[in-house]
Amino acid sequence: MNDIAIDLQEIVKTYKTGSIEVQALRGVTLRIERGEYVAIMGPSGSGKSTLMNVIGCLDRPTLGNYRLDGIDVSALDDRALAKIRLEKLGFIFQGFNLLPRTDAMKNVSLPLFYAKVSPKERRERAQRALAEVGLADRAHHRPSELSGGQQQRVAIARALINNPAVLLADEPTGNLDTATSEEILSLFKSLHRSGRTIVVVTHDEEVAERANRVVRLRDGLILSDTPTPHGHFSEGSVVQREAIPQS
Amino acid sequence: MVDYIRETLELMQANLTRTVLTLVGLVVGVAAIISIQVAAAGMAAAVNGAFRGINMNTFFIFPKSTQGSTQRANLGLSDLKLLDRNVPGVETAIPFGQTRTIVSAGHQHIMLKFGGESYRRFSTAPVVAGHAITRSDVENATPVCVLSAKAYKRLFPHAADPETVLGQSVYVGPKRYVVAGILGPATLSTASLGFDINNDVVIPYTTFYNDYQRGRPLFGIQVLGSRDATLATLEANAKRVLSDAHGGSIYQTFDFGFFTKKVDGFFGVIGTIVGAVGAISLLVAGIGIMNILFVSVSERTREIGIRRAIGASRATILIQFFVEAFVLAFSGSLIGMLAGLGIGELAQQILIARISGTIAALPWTQAILLATLFATIVTLVFGTLPALRAASVDPIEALRYE
Ligand SMILES: Nc1ncnc2c1ncn2[C@@H]1O[C@H](COP(=O)(O)OP(=O)(O)OP(=O)(O)O)[C@@H](O)[C@H]1O
Ligand SMILES: [Mg+2]
Repeated sequence: MNDIAIDLQEIVKTYKTGSIEVQALRGVTLRIERGEYVAIMGPSGSGKSTLMNVIGCLDRPTLGNYRLDGIDVSALDDRALAKIRLEKLGFIFQGFNLLPRTDAMKNVSLPLFYAKVSPKERRERAQRALAEVGLADRAHHRPSELSGGQQQRVAIARALINNPAVLLADEPTGNLDTATSEEILSLFKSLHRSGRTIVVVTHDEEVAERANRVVRLRDGLILSDTPTPHGHFSEGSVVQREAIPQS
Repeated sequence: MVDYIRETLELMQANLTRTVLTLVGLVVGVAAIISIQVAAAGMAAAVNGAFRGINMNTFFIFPKSTQGSTQRANLGLSDLKLLDRNVPGVETAIPFGQTRTIVSAGHQHIMLKFGGESYRRFSTAPVVAGHAITRSDVENATPVCVLSAKAYKRLFPHAADPETVLGQSVYVGPKRYVVAGILGPATLSTASLGFDINNDVVIPYTTFYNDYQRGRPLFGIQVLGSRDATLATLEANAKRVLSDAHGGSIYQTFDFGFFTKKVDGFFGVIGTIVGAVGAISLLVAGIGIMNILFVSVSERTREIGIRRAIGASRATILIQFFVEAFVLAFSGSLIGMLAGLGIGELAQQILIARISGTIAALPWTQAILLATLFATIVTLVFGTLPALRAASVDPIEALRYE
């Protein structure tokens, strides 16, 4: 088995708008191991979302190599990429991005629908995933009937339902108040503890602090890549640290 | 697939007004095309039914009115025998005689159609009492008559039973005829087409000749062909035989094919018009559906983005929008089909049932096939572009979209 979940080599991404070229990424090399919890920070326009899109196989790099879970994805066609997104990746977006007319249960089970899982198994697994994020009793609420934090938890349940290797979150707490952010962050923490690879884009130093590694971007390049103070600590001390802001 | 269909239905419900407006065109188009089919089928059955009341192998032959010597062309009794003997397939030929006249019985004086017939019957209405004209009636030119159901009812309104009328007298002017038989109602007749060769009061053609046509040339000859003879051949031969006998005079024939052709032609024209209207409304409907799908694609760009990000491939999105187009087109076609069958049935009840007394069965299978065909065509022709646009939505752009 490969221990490296994400392996980016000299990734360049150039956007062309008319005659103007924007280099959103100018040679990013980044390696993330399985089970890591990485925060990506940087000023607006530094290329964070672009990097996430590349990692999430939503966008192809202009130059460079990308291996996800050992697979060279640059060679794959649309159908194969869709399959990778379906099976290996879980997305959490800033704006929750739930289907508006669809209840929580169906939102959560949508990836299983595309994975051609039977309706019965879809329901069962969605129910379990909702229970994991503490929303077992909200299965038949539509997004508009849920609070922001609840919506984000539905989104997390949806991202996790296919048991993906990597969980990607672009500003998951950007639209949430402090208390709700805290809920989401502790959910991430427990996911991390259970062995998931998590990559989070954030503007918020406090959010970044929860990760065990922070990558800072500026103008499409990596400015710094540092472990957080508790990055090397054992799980026990992480829990301890987590308890401090709450008291 | 079921999920796609359910989702589309929910969507249609959520935008009910828009959906209804979109489907109106399709409903109208399909309804028009299917209703005219039903009506045409009914009409065809009615026309066939109408002619079933008489022997279809009947034709009439007349001297052409515009020719050199009308004198030479005049027909006489001898021509009846000529046709009988020299034209193969002729069962009988009689002088054509039919008038509208006052017929009296007791205190009843009724304007009725009155004419001559042979013992070989031209009409197929059943005999309910007594008997039809017999061979000896014809040979002896006896003063007997056979009454149609209508004549019986109007001349003898107080009769308890047709049997009681047999042997009673009926008068045309001073002439007296004894009732020999009563006919039942001809369930089907050409009357409703504006032309009825069935008479209300029938006497032996020889009697008719003696009483009304003696000493004058025959107006025309009515010929009954045998069942297996073809009319066209019969008519051609009859014309030739008469022409030879009358020094090259010209004769013209007339049969019911003329009517059938006329009715067919009428429905051909109506069918073309309705077909054109249907085609145009299908086009408009298709464009409407295309429009609603385009709107749906742009309204749901973000949703498409989410689906793509989650793991739906372009092909999956394409299928989803095709299903949506098909559900729209199919529900429109289905409603149109039901409406069309309903209108067709109504047309049959109101118009055609009066003519023939029968109604053709609704062509369900044909209608369902047609509706499915329309739905499929509309889906493929007008669903492709929106579906392709949906599939080409860039998930990154879509997710940025607020
Ligand atoms: N589709 C696009 N076309 C053209 N330029 C783009 C496109 N997407 C991003 N860019 C440009 O690429 C650069 C990086 O954008 P990106 O969205 O990655 O920034 P970001 O770090 O996520 O910023 P923010 O914190 O504001 O979300 C920006 O200059 C942006 O204008
Ligand atoms: Mg961003």
